[in-house]
Amino acid sequence: MAGVSTKEIKTRIRSMESTRQITRAMEMVASAKLRKAQQQATDCRPYFETLYKVIWDIVGSDAQLDSPYLTGKPGKKAAFVVISGDRGLAGGYNSNVMKLFTAQAEGLDPVVLPMGRKGADYCKTHGVASLTENYTWAEGVSIGDCFSVAKRLCKGFLAGEFHRVYVVYTQFRSVLSQEPQCLQLLPLQKGQAMQGESRQITYEPDSVTVFETIVPEYLGGVLYGALCQSRASEQAARRTAMDAATQNAQEMIDGLSLQFNRARQAAITQEITEIVAGSQ
Amino acid sequence: MNSFTLKIVTPDGLIFDGQAEELVVRTVAGDMGILAGHADCVAPLGMGLATVMVDGEKRYGACIGGMVSVLNGQVKLVPTTFEWSDKIDVARAVASEERAKSVLADKSSSDTDLRLAESRLKRALIRQRVHGYK
Repeated sequence: MAGVSTKEIKTRIRSMESTRQITRAMEMVASAKLRKAQQQATDCRPYFETLYKVIWDIVGSDAQLDSPYLTGKPGKKAAFVVISGDRGLAGGYNSNVMKLFTAQAEGLDPVVLPMGRKGADYCKTHGVASLTENYTWAEGVSIGDCFSVAKRLCKGFLAGEFHRVYVVYTQFRSVLSQEPQCLQLLPLQKGQAMQGESRQITYEPDSVTVFETIVPEYLGGVLYGALCQSRASEQAARRTAMDAATQNAQEMIDGLSLQFNRARQAAITQEITEIVAGSQ
Repeated sequence: MNSFTLKIVTPDGLIFDGQAEELVVRTVAGDMGILAGHADCVAPLGMGLATVMVDGEKRYGACIGGMVSVLNGQVKLVPTTFEWSDKIDVARAVASEERAKSVLADKSSSDTDLRLAESRLKRALIRQRVHGYK
């Protein structure tokens, strides 16, 4: 009967409308958060880049330099700092990070320091060991936390607990484009960085002390930079995903409304026909 | 006076990018002065007053943690925090000093708390002192 189907369609339209309302609200929340996160990411970028460049310039231009951070020991143990989101519904954001991590960790013996609940959940379900669970709430990690993580990683690296340190994060290119990245933080490979002639650099008070202080600082700074970029990427990814979802919902509502109107019209026509037939 | 390129960047953003004539910072090994033509060098920073001379005028800042590097005549100051003396929030520094002192006075505080409070106190005192420089 036509009456039943209009009722069914009406219920479906109503449920689609509430879905659209939710996705639209989520999109707006993500936009507001994105603005803040984007600002933070842009503020932090010069620091991130300068720090990275200075360290590599030093490593690349001083041939005499020797430090345990430079050479490292051979081994397959690797620590990964995986920066993901705390919540889902952000398109491919979380799964892209995990995919890259899985690809990078192949052939290595990984131990993960998850930043973000999704990364922590992934480690649990896939049986990957995690170093600490203190930073699983990515949104709550502060710059101070980044420096403590850096200290912990440096200590572990020097003690031979792991032989390499990576960070997996999502680079924020623009609001529409984010790309997962994996950076090797330790050891600072000298061979790759050598460029031009070797220069004599003075270290105050001496190279050992300098590196002992600077490397954790460098790690912390880079981690914080990566975290800022990841946060901005997460919000941008969520905004895009929710925008698409809102549009899809709208399309479905349009289609259903058309169906509904047709069914209603058909019912009216039928009624008229019946009345006309009865009066004759 | 000869000038050199100075860049000061912190996690909160770019603080300074331009020509300067003199930079004095507190490193872990004591104060270090940098003029144009300084040899290549790297030093980790301690906590203290930083003086930057721009166009013959001195500006003061509270500079904490991080490092300073001179490479090819380019000076890069990469501290964890850096505040110009006129931008320091003194009320906050005083409050932070009080809090740190109460932790230090408390006999039941753990070692980590004590260490954190000690450096917090140091930072607060430096900020208050630097704020006096104009």
